[in-house]
Amino acid sequence: MVSVINTVDTSHEDMIHDAQMDYYGTRLATCSSDRTVKMFDVRNGGQILVADLRGHEGPVWQVAWAHPMFGNILASCSYDRKVIIWKEENGSWDKMHEYCGHESSVNSVCWGPYDFGLILACGSSDGAISILTFTGDQQWDVKKISNAHTIGCNAVSWAPAVVPGSLIDQPSGQKPNYVKRFVSGGCDNLVKLWKEEDGQWKEDQKLEAHSDWVRDVGWAPSIGLPTSTIASCSQDGRVFIWSCDDPAGNTWTAKLLHKFNDVVWHVSWSITGNILAVSGGDNKVTLWKESMDGQWACISDVSKGQGAVSTITDTQQSEQ
Amino acid sequence: MEELDVEPAITNIPAASDGKHLGFAWGPGDLLVYETLYKASSGAKGSGCSFIHEVRKDEDIYSPILRKLFNESHHIFVGLQTIQEDLPSKNKKPQFVSISKNYRSVIRACMEELQQVAVSTKDAKVAMQYGNQVSILLAIELIWNLSEVLFIDSAPAGSLLLHLLDWVRLHKADVDEKATEVLQSESPAEHKDYWDVVLSYVMQGRLEESRQMLVKQATLHPAPRSMYKLMDTLLSKMPFYNPGGNQTLTEYDVKWRHWHEEVDRCLQDNSFASNKHLEIICRILVGDEDTLLEHKELLGTWYHFLVTRLLFSHPTVQPTELHYYAQSCMTMFLDSRSVPEPLDNILLAAFEFDIHQVIKECSIALNNWWFVAHLTDLLDHCKLLQSHNVHFGSNLREFLLLEYASGLFTHHSLWQLAVDYFDHCPDLGRVYLELQIERVPLNTERKALKVLRICEQRQMSEQVRSICKIMAMRALKNNRLGSALSWSIRAKDAAFATLISERFLQDYCARGTFSDLDLIDNLGPAMLLSDRLTFLGKYREFHRLYGEKRFGEAAKLLLSLMTAKIAPRSFWMTLLTDALPLLEQKEVIFSAGQTYELMFCLEELTSSLSSVAPATDGTMQDEDIEQTKVELLRLALARNLAMAIVKEGTVST
Repeated sequence: MVSVINTVDTSHEDMIHDAQMDYYGTRLATCSSDRTVKMFDVRNGGQILVADLRGHEGPVWQVAWAHPMFGNILASCSYDRKVIIWKEENGSWDKMHEYCGHESSVNSVCWGPYDFGLILACGSSDGAISILTFTGDQQWDVKKISNAHTIGCNAVSWAPAVVPGSLIDQPSGQKPNYVKRFVSGGCDNLVKLWKEEDGQWKEDQKLEAHSDWVRDVGWAPSIGLPTSTIASCSQDGRVFIWSCDDPAGNTWTAKLLHKFNDVVWHVSWSITGNILAVSGGDNKVTLWKESMDGQWACISDVSKGQGAVSTITDTQQSEQ
Repeated sequence: MEELDVEPAITNIPAASDGKHLGFAWGPGDLLVYETLYKASSGAKGSGCSFIHEVRKDEDIYSPILRKLFNESHHIFVGLQTIQEDLPSKNKKPQFVSISKNYRSVIRACMEELQQVAVSTKDAKVAMQYGNQVSILLAIELIWNLSEVLFIDSAPAGSLLLHLLDWVRLHKADVDEKATEVLQSESPAEHKDYWDVVLSYVMQGRLEESRQMLVKQATLHPAPRSMYKLMDTLLSKMPFYNPGGNQTLTEYDVKWRHWHEEVDRCLQDNSFASNKHLEIICRILVGDEDTLLEHKELLGTWYHFLVTRLLFSHPTVQPTELHYYAQSCMTMFLDSRSVPEPLDNILLAAFEFDIHQVIKECSIALNNWWFVAHLTDLLDHCKLLQSHNVHFGSNLREFLLLEYASGLFTHHSLWQLAVDYFDHCPDLGRVYLELQIERVPLNTERKALKVLRICEQRQMSEQVRSICKIMAMRALKNNRLGSALSWSIRAKDAAFATLISERFLQDYCARGTFSDLDLIDNLGPAMLLSDRLTFLGKYREFHRLYGEKRFGEAAKLLLSLMTAKIAPRSFWMTLLTDALPLLEQKEVIFSAGQTYELMFCLEELTSSLSSVAPATDGTMQDEDIEQTKVELLRLALARNLAMAIVKEGTVST
């Protein structure tokens, strides 16, 4: 069913922390404890190193691609408290901007929906979240939410640029008034929702369910239904699916996806939001699908909730 | 976690060591996995593995031969969607059956091609891979064919058995190969497979063919000729139901029972006791289960056994009775030790008319969504799946089509087929298309136009805008200003159009000529997208008028660009310089009034420039040139004013 079809040797000299495909699945960006960010052209099963970006002075935790309508732009964040935005100009990659506004390790970077222009959210161990907006002419406007999460912010994820249900209710041709929103998770065991109002960022919701540090959050792509969905995972081994079908966005309900025996580090939705991938301390990546069981769905039993569809497990290579 | 039908499949990733984590990221359609250590502590050192593994689900999508299956079934699918809705579904049955047959013939064609490649290839691994695919397609065709008989055609008693016989004959075609081999041998009647062929023909109800085979034996052994004659009579007399004829099912049944009794009588009389082979045939004809089961290897499968058993015991079996016989045949046929395989369960579910179970089991057993998606869609059109909604938010048909189409979208050329599938998913198809189509790499302008057309046809304005912006940005990066401008006009992106217009004007100032004249000359109303673009268009128009020696109009336009504040202030000096040759024409072009206005513009410009602190870093030479220009302009303006006043004050005679 699932098989390994290609292996890319990144030649990173230390632990890889993140890997992200660009929008089209043609370029792969990776980052590592070796302080570098690398970029590979992986078209047609190839793996050509196209850039080796040096600029960070500590382990690089995450990378994020901006939408291609802004050109080729990548953001990276590091233990060195810096966020670097890289840009390809005439075939070579250079620093477009360096942001040093955090007082501790920056753990997560995430680009907002393209409808808002170039806008980047950064979550840091200093507890703050910065929102950088490109205003043209090499200028970046910075808004900072101080003390967003006590002890530290571990993850940020943007909401899709749609008002829930807008695809159904909105008269065609009229562009809805999008509200900028994102979700964050932190060391205060909380999941928080943030909303921009009159140019200021405000805490919109505080979602409580986890009993230990929240490690990752992921806002699901909108599939046109008047529902917003967020996944969160935590040190407590739990993965929650938060959903809200109230157009005002005030009532969120949590559903436990699964309780793992170990820390859950990373959650991420597929392009159409129909599969959630979860990675935990048990050295596995599991794929989850709503209301389905078996490898795809128990279509004859509609009452069932979630089930794992496929597990990707690592195994020790037998050394012979 | 909910109870699962089957354990989740486990994929092992090589070389991930103990105590580390497995990181991942979504690629389009694929998952990337790598060994990592989620921030244990800042300086945690533990050398990592530098490999990233690309993991893929739907590998079938990438098979070059199966691609034909996807392409051709796509046409059938689209045709099915456009079958007229207003016909009562009963009248549509022949159409559905023919569509079902079309799907099956595509499967067969694909299977044959795979078989050929599997045989001709020298690579054992490839041969095995193709061989596997052939067996999967065989199973798919087998299930589809049975579904067609039972669900789509829903043949009534009488016809049902005839259809089932066709089904078995089609999927147990090795008899014919064997028969050819026997017949081509020197002495067919003495060939070791002779009796196998005769029995196989009988068990498939191909009595005419078995009689022809028997003739060979009869001529060889003249002694028991009468025995062969008797068998031949029995075989020739066996009645078959004729759905087109005017015989009723009851009449047929009576006739069949009569024949059956006759066969039974022969058996009781020991008519064939002296010939073991004919005796066996006679036992088969009378429907003796033990005899049939003694020839398992000729039957091959329990469902062949089922059909043969029905043929000689219950030829008028009702569809509703099938499940009983199917279940008992399966139990009788399969070893008590052997466990039914997925295919057995799927066929059994079909005989039980449990469509949902068939689809569910197929989805679990098969490696691709192609089969379940298309079959379910067809069954849904036959109105066989109503009121079975899954919690997912759309019905079963749509759910499966979305899965299949999403898989197609990961492929560099098959994604275009997926568009039509999404179009026919009323609930979520559009949103899926919107989310997926943005991920189609726009590596060429042609491809971009193709994607754009798909979005435009569906009024997907957000995606249209996004694609145009991407293309505009890319053209600008490659210094193709004309292309960048036209893309940003299509995107209705005013800011970007302004940026590109600036670049055009800069280029003009540097080189003194415009590129992409065609585009700029034909902007039309698109010119109004941004002020700077309007200026670019108008300024180019001025040059055109000037080139055509329509000086009066050119002069008027030039002046209006400044007075109506269309031209940016930074460009005024260029405009005024452009006025110089007009001022120095022998003929008076700018009227006195217009000259005053030009003078006013010049003064406004120079006063605003001088109010800014004198540039200390500007070289003296630059300033000198500017100064000379202004003086030249003033002189030309003054002279023109004088001439204009004289001209306007002169009464023409």
